[in-house]
Amino acid sequence: MNALCLAATSFMQPELPAASSDDEIVRAAIGGDRKAFEALYRRHSDRVYGAVLRLAAFDHARAEDLTQEAFIRAWQKLEGFRFESAFGTWVYRLAVNVALMSIRARNADPVSIVDDEHLPDITDADNPVRAFERDELEKAIAGLPPRARAVLVLHDVEGWKHEEIATELSMAVGSSKAQLHRARGLLRRALGDKP
Amino acid sequence: MNELDYLRQMRSLNRPVVPHRDLWAGIEARLDEAPSAATVRRHRARPWLMAAAIAGVAVLGGGIGLHLVSPTGNDGLAATGQAWKPSDPRLSGAAVELDAARMELTQAMQDSPDSAALQRLLLRTERQRDRLRNLEKQAG
Repeated sequence: MNALCLAATSFMQPELPAASSDDEIVRAAIGGDRKAFEALYRRHSDRVYGAVLRLAAFDHARAEDLTQEAFIRAWQKLEGFRFESAFGTWVYRLAVNVALMSIRARNADPVSIVDDEHLPDITDADNPVRAFERDELEKAIAGLPPRARAVLVLHDVEGWKHEEIATELSMAVGSSKAQLHRARGLLRRALGDKP
Repeated sequence: MNELDYLRQMRSLNRPVVPHRDLWAGIEARLDEAPSAATVRRHRARPWLMAAAIAGVAVLGGGIGLHLVSPTGNDGLAATGQAWKPSDPRLSGAAVELDAARMELTQAMQDSPDSAALQRLLLRTERQRDRLRNLEKQAG
């Protein structure tokens, strides 16, 4: 099984030297080389897909669309890549931005416009009650309102700072903190309410 | 469960995930519709190429016309980059085209200062302008 998977994977790899650095491949892709861009996709798609999947409430179909959109935008914006950061970091941020724009465009979170003082009163929000399984945790995160989920995923899972989240989501730093507090409380409630 | 354990569990979710299907085919199909950076760059350069070509044709036409009317000697006058308006109406059209091309090229170079193609075009436009001024001088 593993050998079969490995064989299939290597069959799909574009014809580029395995040792090529990202920078070399990016330069080739900037010149219009699609094989090079495919190599970049193969190297970084799993990380991008993982991040987008978490922001898309673990909805695989939506995460697939968002990942494709992110790589298409990367292709279009590649000329703007200045080699100041790793390509992986650049495309990851671009993909997160695409996912967040999707959340904003859907505007599906009526609570996102609620003032901080009207947030639900949740005590002990930073202390979820018990250890839980990953699947259980993912389901609970998926059930959060989109904006609260975005802040929780970016802060607690992806390790972003509130300042970065606030910039990406066009909100005040205080709002990001309040959303995190609220999301943690909702998460705790969702996990605690389980029988 | 304390906050540290909570964060540890949350960070454990931060992992690469393999998509259920290969997404590359869908991306590649859409790349045909989405111009790459290289294509955009080429398309962006086209208006400047066109402007330079028009200017070149205008200069050539004006020059030939002047030579036919006044085939005098060549004093090799060096031209400057300052605003200039020929008195001969046959040259003034070419001069306007050249000035417009020079202005557009200068603007384009603000966006892409390292573009060798734009630099070459600008240099060529300047030379054509110089030639035009020389022709005017020759014509008296």
